[in-house]
Amino acid sequence: MSLGVRVNGLRQAIRRDDVRSLSRRYFVANGFDGTLTSIGVVVGAYLSGVANGLAVVGIGLGAAVGLGTSGIWSVWEIERAEASLEQAELERSMLTSLDDTKLTRDLRNEQIVYSLAAASGPVIGVAVTLLPFLLEGVLFSMFQAVLVSIGLGIVLLGGVGAYLGAISQQRWFVAAARMGLAGIVVALISIFLPG
Amino acid sequence: MTLISMKPHEPSLVQFVERLSELDDVTGVTGKLVEIEEDVRTVRIAIEGEGLDLDVVDAEIADLSASIHSIDEVSCGDHVVDDPWISGR
Repeated sequence: MSLGVRVNGLRQAIRRDDVRSLSRRYFVANGFDGTLTSIGVVVGAYLSGVANGLAVVGIGLGAAVGLGTSGIWSVWEIERAEASLEQAELERSMLTSLDDTKLTRDLRNEQIVYSLAAASGPVIGVAVTLLPFLLEGVLFSMFQAVLVSIGLGIVLLGGVGAYLGAISQQRWFVAAARMGLAGIVVALISIFLPG
Repeated sequence: MTLISMKPHEPSLVQFVERLSELDDVTGVTGKLVEIEEDVRTVRIAIEGEGLDLDVVDAEIADLSASIHSIDEVSCGDHVVDDPWISGR
């Protein structure tokens, strides 16, 4: 399959409401994981005495690689199993093989969209919260970088919460506060962890 | 040519008919929903065109994840022969 055909197929998949809905869930759920993990890593690194901003970035990127790979891998396998099941059920109903048809191509495109959404969520979450550490020693001290990082994480979570609240026609600021609160909780737990 | 096809719910009947209408030699296509089941739909497809190639139509329908159940009506030659039994006139 040529790249152009694949890109066109992915575009068509993204236009579908059901694909957008599930992609959004994967993106938000994994992005939530990534952001909270990063806040925990940042606080833990600072309290453990890591004195270099780039070292925190290195630790955080390790978490991003792990979470991104986990997202893309697990969702790929989950969606592959679901697609195979759906194809098998349809083949039973239609008494014919559906290999290499529009159905299987569409299912594969959906699989790619879901996997990318699941991987990009945590990578973005971690990357945003690590940004202040690139400016450690230039604009921020380590302590300030930690505070700005936690703040960015909370704003990111709140932004996603506001978006979810808006599309579900709930009060966006309540949804934003509920999501943002998770960032504060993780930061506090990390601070008061034994050791 | 009129045929009965079984297809999944997706692609929609609109997309299905559109794709068939884009085939070479096809001048018009009409699709009608006949029956909906849990996983599949049965549709009646009327295709018109000069020099229609059944193999091409069959391949396109297969690519749309559907299958031809039966070919119910075919007209060939220089003009359409009116069969009173079919047309009901």
